[in-house]
Amino acid sequence: MAARVLAALLATALALALAAGPAPARASNDEGDALYALRQRLSDPNGVLQSWDPTLVNPCTWFHVTCDQASRVVRLDLGNSNVSGSIGPELGRLVNLKYLELYRNNLDGEIPKELGNLKNLISLDLYANKLTGGIPKSLSKLDSLRFMRLNNNKLTGSIPREFAKLSNLKVIDLSNNDLCGTIPVDGPFSTFPLRSFENNSRLNGPELQGLVPYDFGC
Amino acid sequence: MGIKQSCSFTPCVLADLSLLFCILLAPVCLATSPAALLQVKSGLTDPEGVLSGWSLEADVCSWHGITCLPGEAGIVTGLNLSGYGLSGMIPPAISGLISIESIDLSSNSLTGPIPPELGVLENLRTLLLFSNSLTGTIPPELGLLKNLKVLRIGDNRLHGEIPPHLGNCSELETLGLAYCQLNGTIPAELGSLKQLQKLALDNNTLTGGIPEQLAGCVSLRFLSLADNMLQGNIPSFIGSFSDLQSLNLANNQFSGEIPAEIGSLSSLTYLNLLGNSLTGAIPAELNRLGQLQVLDLSMNNISGKVSISAAQLKNLKYLVLSGNLLDGAIPEDLCADDSSSLLENLFLAGNNLEGGIEALLSCGALQSIDVSNNSFTGVIPPGIDRLPGLVNLALHNNSFTGALQPQIGNLSNLEILSLFHNGLTGGIPQEIGRLQKLKLLFLYENQMSGTIPDELTNCTSLEEVDFFGNHFHGPIPERIGNLKNLAVLQLRQNDLSGPIPASLGECRSLQALALADNRLTGALPETFRQLAELSVVTLYNNSLEGPLPESLFQLKNLTVINFSHNRFAGSLVPLLGSTSLTVLALTDNSFSGVIPAVVARSRNMVRLQLGGNRLTGAIPAELGNLTRLSMLDLSLNNLSGDIPAELSNCVELTHLKLDGNNLTGTVPACLGSLRSLGELDLSWNALTGGIPPELGNCSGLLKLSLSDNHLTGSIPPEIGRLTSLNVLNLNKNSLTGAIPPALQQCNKLYELRLSENSLEGPIPPELGQLSELQVILDLSRNRLSGEIPASLGSLVKLERLNLSSNRLDGQIPSSLLQLTSLHGLNLSDNLLSGAVPAGLSSFPAAAFVGNELCGAPLLPCGPRSPARRLSGTEVVVIVAGIALVSAVVCVALLYTMLRVWSNWRAVSVSNSDGEESAHGGHGGGGGKWGDGKYWKVGSPVSWSAEQKHSSGSETASVLLHDKSTEAARAGKR
Repeated sequence: MAARVLAALLATALALALAAGPAPARASNDEGDALYALRQRLSDPNGVLQSWDPTLVNPCTWFHVTCDQASRVVRLDLGNSNVSGSIGPELGRLVNLKYLELYRNNLDGEIPKELGNLKNLISLDLYANKLTGGIPKSLSKLDSLRFMRLNNNKLTGSIPREFAKLSNLKVIDLSNNDLCGTIPVDGPFSTFPLRSFENNSRLNGPELQGLVPYDFGC
Repeated sequence: MGIKQSCSFTPCVLADLSLLFCILLAPVCLATSPAALLQVKSGLTDPEGVLSGWSLEADVCSWHGITCLPGEAGIVTGLNLSGYGLSGMIPPAISGLISIESIDLSSNSLTGPIPPELGVLENLRTLLLFSNSLTGTIPPELGLLKNLKVLRIGDNRLHGEIPPHLGNCSELETLGLAYCQLNGTIPAELGSLKQLQKLALDNNTLTGGIPEQLAGCVSLRFLSLADNMLQGNIPSFIGSFSDLQSLNLANNQFSGEIPAEIGSLSSLTYLNLLGNSLTGAIPAELNRLGQLQVLDLSMNNISGKVSISAAQLKNLKYLVLSGNLLDGAIPEDLCADDSSSLLENLFLAGNNLEGGIEALLSCGALQSIDVSNNSFTGVIPPGIDRLPGLVNLALHNNSFTGALQPQIGNLSNLEILSLFHNGLTGGIPQEIGRLQKLKLLFLYENQMSGTIPDELTNCTSLEEVDFFGNHFHGPIPERIGNLKNLAVLQLRQNDLSGPIPASLGECRSLQALALADNRLTGALPETFRQLAELSVVTLYNNSLEGPLPESLFQLKNLTVINFSHNRFAGSLVPLLGSTSLTVLALTDNSFSGVIPAVVARSRNMVRLQLGGNRLTGAIPAELGNLTRLSMLDLSLNNLSGDIPAELSNCVELTHLKLDGNNLTGTVPACLGSLRSLGELDLSWNALTGGIPPELGNCSGLLKLSLSDNHLTGSIPPEIGRLTSLNVLNLNKNSLTGAIPPALQQCNKLYELRLSENSLEGPIPPELGQLSELQVILDLSRNRLSGEIPASLGSLVKLERLNLSSNRLDGQIPSSLLQLTSLHGLNLSDNLLSGAVPAGLSSFPAAAFVGNELCGAPLLPCGPRSPARRLSGTEVVVIVAGIALVSAVVCVALLYTMLRVWSNWRAVSVSNSDGEESAHGGHGGGGGKWGDGKYWKVGSPVSWSAEQKHSSGSETASVLLHDKSTEAARAGKR
């Protein structure tokens, strides 16, 4: 009996050693891995992520994912898909992404600061979710961003002043959140209509530079 | 036999039961031993004939397997029929052997229950029935066997609970009930077994905790409760079993900390607590177990440091702590540096350990090291060759850096070298060629470089080589064919160049070959035909070329072929010898000829991707036999003929891409039965007929593209049932009739293209419901009439709107000013009239020409135009007014904000709303705070001049983008 147990142990130990055999997910399919990490975070009652098979060479045949000619992920369309869970930092690895469409879901948690790495992002549509926390100021690194719609969430904190650097920003919608402080007035903010900021009960109107700190009342 | 029934009306104690037995079974009791044995024989099937000598003609004591009492003829004391392949049931007649002391029927194929009648054999000392197929429960009558010392009935299919009556077998020394299906708890009564030395209850489904009464088993030497569902704490009384040598509690649900009292078990040689939920630190007291040879605490939640010292545990051979929460470094004194260490196997994988592994070099007897999945850093120590016995070295999934040193070549016993997913740099030392026993070499996901040394081909035991994701360059070693045992060769994603060596065909054991993502050139060698075991071959993203050797058809075991993105040419036939293909991906090569119908012999095909080749002929109807097909991509070839209706049998299809061919005929209505379809692309063909309304049944469809065909008829309103649709492209057909208002139900559309058809009637206002439209709404080049519906102003995400070359009339609705995301607009060549709304003046004139429009960016409107210019006096008055109002509002604002911050917004938002409606609801432009807004409306030019530049370039780049895509497409064709 003892010999049998010892043999069993040996088998266990060797199995551990040979765990190398079935190689884990390949890091080089980084965009696919990042998306798959998102899939694992999300609860997906409608099965919209069912086609996301991590064993494929790239995610370009996954539904709701669009690639360019060079097989780089440029669109993620999960708007109105009844998914819940948090967004997670992995999406920051989709460095070729132009359209991030996650609107009208039940996403919660914070907007990961890693989204600031999406240098090619044109459209960031996270509206109508349950996102909390602050708007990461890293989003001010999104030089290509034209559309930022974060409205109808539960975002708090102030509007990062750094957003005034977003020279391509054409549309911003931060309405219906719980933001505080004041609204920037520089850069693209000189053209945004007030309704982009309405229904933030603690947001105190346009910044009065030099008179009041921008995050007054936060 | 109704023993319990008897007891129910006969006042009886267990001791009386044997008497009762004899009364009930009088004929058996009276029978002689030979007669009883012959009854036993008659119940058994005896394939080896070992019982053939059992007959009354011979002395019973001479029968095979029978032992008699010495000197006393005919008194049978032993029956040993172990391992003779006997089957059948154990006959109750066996209870007639009243003198018997030992029964061994182990390792046969006996079935049926254990006869309760065995309980009468009061002389029985040994009962071995293990390793049979016995069923039923353990008869409580076994508890009557007062003289029983050894009871081993495990490895059967016994179920039910362990009878507490066994606690009455007070002489019991060995109780083996392992490998059955016993459930319930461990009976506390077993604690009465003071003589019990071995207790094996492992591999059952026992529940509950270890009963405290078990502390009474003071003689225990061997205790195995592994592989059950036991829970609770490990009781500290285990430390009082002073003779205990082996303790195995593995794979249960024990929780809490490891009791320090275990450190008192001075005879313990084997301690296995693997696979529980134990927490806390490793008790330092374990270091007192001087006899311990095996210590396995793996797969728990144990935290703290590796506080085990093999220097104290001088007999330790196995130390297994994998899969815990241990942190810190490997202790410096893990092994005393006096070459006295016996530690052979060290498994620390899957913890949070850090630092280097130099301390291991003192453990001179090590054969296996697994420290994978930790956070170790530093270099792989060159002194690793101080461990000459090393067989397995697994350092993967850590952060080791630096180069692999030549000393690795001194580890002549090495069989497994797994270094993947670290930060190793440098080349592979040529000394690796000295590792004649090496079977597995995993270097993938490092930053290694240089060429693959030819010496590697001296490692003739190699079975698996994985260098994926490094920077190796140069050729694949010419003599790779020396590796006759190679089953897996994974070199994907390096910078390898040159041809695939012909000698690779000598690797006859090769099952998986991955050379994808390199810069390999040349043709596939003829010798590939010899790779009869080859199952998975992936060569995509190289520059391999030429026709495939016809002899590849001999490879019958292929399941996955991915040759995409190369320059292979010629026929597909050589790849179709196997009928087991699940993936055939040949996208973007130059294959020509027809798609052979034999491709459909692989009935388990999941992905068939032949897009971007030069294939001709018809789509074989046999593809309809591929009922597991998920992806069918035949796009961008020169295929002709009809779309076979049989494709509708491929019910699991998710992607059907036939675009960019010369397909004719109609769109088969039966495609509507493909309920899993997410993408249907039939564009760029010569299809005729109407769009079948049945497509509306493909309810999961996300992309539907039928553009560039000759489709006629109207757009079926059933398309509106595709409520998941993201992209609808019906451009460039000959569609007529009205745009169905039902399209409004496709409310996930982000791209809608209906241009270059003959659609007529008005633009349905319902399109304004498509609030997620984003990429484009293109209705251009049709015969649409009527006014532009004001509802289109709701498409706030829309980036491009093209309504050009229609017959639209009326004015441009001011609601279009709400299209704040718009950066491409084309309303040209319609019948529009009136003034261009000021907010749209930033778009280039080309967006509006070919109408009767006026105003910026077109020529100014005439005197009777509604949008007249203001006179100089009016301007002065307005500017003065604005200045005054501005000053007032500024002061008011300042005052308000500094005093009543929280009340500010209600006031000012309602103000601004009022202004916006007064000025046509402009939202995207200069509308700002109070006075700023007035200023903007009075001076539209200064605003648009600033915006014009960006909008113009935007439109241009969008246009350019389209052109290049189309050019690329055309070129491909």
